[in-house]
Amino acid sequence: MIRFGYIIISIAFFLIVCGITSSVPAAPMSRQLQAQAGVERFPPPDFVESGYELPSPTTPHPRQNIYEYVDAVVLLAALGLASYLVLKKRSRRAILTLSVFSLFYFGFWRKGCVCSIGAIQNIVLSIFDRDYAVPFVVVVFFLLPLVFTLFFGRTFCAAVCPLGAVQDLVLLRPVAVPSWLESGLRLFAYAYLGAAVLFAATGSAFIICRYDPFISFFRLSGSLNILVLGGCFLLVGVFIGRPYCRFFCPYGVILRQLSRLSKWRVSITPDDCIKCRLCEDSCPFGAIKVPTAEWPARDYDKSKKRLALLLLLLPILILACAWAVSTASDLMSRTHPTVRLADRIHLEETGKEEETTDASAAFWATGKDVRELYAEASNIQAAVKTGCWLLGGFLGLVIALKLIGHSVRRTRIDYEADRAGCLACGRCFEYCPREHVRLNKDKQAVGDGE
Amino acid sequence: MKPRVAESPAPGRNNDSVEVKTTNQWYQTAFWSAVVSAVFSLIVVGFLMVNYLQIKVFDPVRAERLELLKLKIIDHPDDVLFVQIRKLDLQIRQDRIRRQNFSYRASFLLLGGLAVFVISAKLAVTFKKKPPRPQPYPDRQKEQIRQAIQARSTITVGLAVLGAAVLFFATRPVVDFSEEPPQKGVWPRFRGLGGLGISASTNVPDNWNGSTNEGILWKSKVPLPGHNSPIVWGDRVFLSGADANERQVYCFDALSGKLLWRGNVPNLAPAGAEPVEPGESTGFAAPTMVTDGRRVYAIFATGDVGCFDFSGKTVWARNLGSPDSAYGYASSLAMYRDLLLVQYDQGAAEDEKSKLIALNAFLGHTVWETRRPIPNSWTSPIVIEVSSRHQIITCGDPWVIAYDPNGAELWRADCLGADVAPSPIYAGGLVFAIEPYTKLVAIKPDGRGDVTKTHIVWSNEEGAPDICSPVSNGELIFLLTTDGLLICLQVTDGTKLWEEDLKEDFFASPSLIGDRLYLLSQKGVMFIIEAATEYKELARCELREDCHASPAFVDGRIYIRGTKNLYCIGNLD
Repeated sequence: MIRFGYIIISIAFFLIVCGITSSVPAAPMSRQLQAQAGVERFPPPDFVESGYELPSPTTPHPRQNIYEYVDAVVLLAALGLASYLVLKKRSRRAILTLSVFSLFYFGFWRKGCVCSIGAIQNIVLSIFDRDYAVPFVVVVFFLLPLVFTLFFGRTFCAAVCPLGAVQDLVLLRPVAVPSWLESGLRLFAYAYLGAAVLFAATGSAFIICRYDPFISFFRLSGSLNILVLGGCFLLVGVFIGRPYCRFFCPYGVILRQLSRLSKWRVSITPDDCIKCRLCEDSCPFGAIKVPTAEWPARDYDKSKKRLALLLLLLPILILACAWAVSTASDLMSRTHPTVRLADRIHLEETGKEEETTDASAAFWATGKDVRELYAEASNIQAAVKTGCWLLGGFLGLVIALKLIGHSVRRTRIDYEADRAGCLACGRCFEYCPREHVRLNKDKQAVGDGE
Repeated sequence: MKPRVAESPAPGRNNDSVEVKTTNQWYQTAFWSAVVSAVFSLIVVGFLMVNYLQIKVFDPVRAERLELLKLKIIDHPDDVLFVQIRKLDLQIRQDRIRRQNFSYRASFLLLGGLAVFVISAKLAVTFKKKPPRPQPYPDRQKEQIRQAIQARSTITVGLAVLGAAVLFFATRPVVDFSEEPPQKGVWPRFRGLGGLGISASTNVPDNWNGSTNEGILWKSKVPLPGHNSPIVWGDRVFLSGADANERQVYCFDALSGKLLWRGNVPNLAPAGAEPVEPGESTGFAAPTMVTDGRRVYAIFATGDVGCFDFSGKTVWARNLGSPDSAYGYASSLAMYRDLLLVQYDQGAAEDEKSKLIALNAFLGHTVWETRRPIPNSWTSPIVIEVSSRHQIITCGDPWVIAYDPNGAELWRADCLGADVAPSPIYAGGLVFAIEPYTKLVAIKPDGRGDVTKTHIVWSNEEGAPDICSPVSNGELIFLLTTDGLLICLQVTDGTKLWEEDLKEDFFASPSLIGDRLYLLSQKGVMFIIEAATEYKELARCELREDCHASPAFVDGRIYIRGTKNLYCIGNLD
């Protein structure tokens, strides 16, 4: 069973990596694509003799502001209802129904935008760029799920997030991911969050939106790379519960930490746990913590020493990771269009490239001084370098804390939902015999009332 | 959704078996629905992929064919070709729209198919769901220790992956934008960078012989005549040539001399315009071209301007109107960033026909034009930088006028006369302008308005060239008259230091390479003279072909245009 699971997981992650690499073209390729973009653009026809004049393009009216408020209200209502269904009603079927609604409203109807995950970038950019005014609805989409998580746990993930909903729906044959692997894979999400913040802060790119794997499905159009990436995630999602949410979602990283502090949260049983073990394998997301056995004394001593060593190594690890990531700053700075343009212009100026791309031709046509462009690009490079040091430090801290976390010996006596990892989907409820007792009591109460 | 169970009066076992049977039927229905919807979805995906391939593979091929036809029609207008282009164009558009529509509809079908599949598959899974049967407890103690070790190992592996990525990224080449890019061999306009006639090359040959071909790397015939000078960018040499019927731009390979391409500039003069008849001394292609490293620009005596990319493709072409010039239009082009500068002096001053025109280099439209109170002239504008601001310096009768790159006039000095042909230069902080046969004037370019009385630093009236432009190393300025008198003056005050009669005729302007002057006579003899306070001839090399154009000096090579051939002189190593 375990071997079969490993094989599935290996295939799944191979597919995801293939999807990601296929969606991230290498630097020279991107230039090529950029050049092709001009060629592929469909030129207007030549009406030399007929004298026909092409009508000037009309701009469609922007979406009315009122709908932004409607979105915000729908989000608030959905979060409130999700919290009620998860904590009070404890109905998996109702949660599923709400998540289908969210998928259609926030996904297919609203085309996946605004979404709380991508809103991280708008908020970060508004902090670092004074000229950028973040829209009200984006602030609401960013803050509301955080507030609800702080009080009710990850009810947003349970039934409001369209990305989570689409993955939840395709989950057919869940395969358990070993906890050690899950812990390692979750590092991707931290790295993704850090990179997204870095790129947004420097104005380079909104990578969460650019590489949103499900946006093509919501919009029924998109680049082939992203379609393949989304397809890979859904294919993997048939066997592994919500792979994007668990291992990549940058917003999920923030929600995990807030959920640890939440005032009310999901409990598997509505009453005391009787340790029947029926719920043990019910969670496809590996978010049920089983009771621990007593730690052997020898291991306890060893882990104390390891913990002390890791605490000493903490600053070294942070610095080492910061330095390591900073070495990649030049490459990362090329995500910024200005640096990419300067790079291209430099190639053309030094004769390494003779053809112009659309971007470089447009630059030459402006008549701007190349030195000004280079100075601007150098400034961005410096900012990205600083950001890379911080990103590396952040990753070093996360790695160190994870190592420390796995060296701390905790004791647990009941089966309980993982405070951080529980997505509040409600699948575990029906496995608990105490839940059935509760439901029967409810029915009885209704019967008595009648 | 839970399947409805058929109610049966029979108690016990019979009831259970009916329920199992009914559940099984529901399972079968859900299962086969899932299979059918999966097959349907796969078929739709197949159609979508074929459609995508058609868009990505077949359409670009046809679009390329259309582009080729469009290029063909520029050179050979033909009604059949027109019809062919229209037909192909329409076909491509119709197919494109049809495929887009197909793609849009198919994606809905796919979505529907997948929705049915997901619902059916979920139901099938639900019907086959087994109740949990917890296995006997493993050794929890061992298990949790093992899991903790594995988790730490995984994170350590993650750390190692980060390290490997660092090694990978650290080896990637880095572009430092703060560094000056290495300047490749360029001679981008008439008289090279800045129009000063100065080359940074120092290893320029000083020995060749046209009769034995010694020192001559290659020699290529230039198809059409022209007095314009060669310009060079990297491994490409550009020239133009024209006669009454054709106007052409040539690109030669700097290494082999092979003619890589020739581009035709069409006659775009409005119908009914009087044909231009330039003098023999200038011809149809006297103005030198200019390049910005990506495109080349040429202007002809007919007023036709053409822009080509480095592969020879026409980017744009237009006609500025037939210039009214006594000897034929001869001012060379200049560039400032994206502006192509055309000094279009013509007619008499009172005709108010003269203007300085700035064209958008990439698109060809006029960005601005400024009227000039000047009759026809034959000088070429230069762009200089004074106190971090750029100025466009122009000469004519009687004004030396400086313009801001936005077209506004900055200053003017009344100091010239007659048919002005020598171009201005900028050296030692002074602008030098020449009135043919009469005088050399030095002007400080930091004034505003009419600076005739305030900024003319000195004027030397001991003779001056009528065609050749001057050259200066910042301390000394050298003048070369058409009849071969070489004059050396001091930059600071215009004091004449020496003069020498070279006893040859000269049309090409002198060039300064290091501390040596290169003077190309009309008969093709290159005089190499020390650029010093005393006259000293260093060498004299013959080409054996008449020369009117100024040579280009790039990377230790000299490109000389004779009346019929283009020469490259240099060392094989």
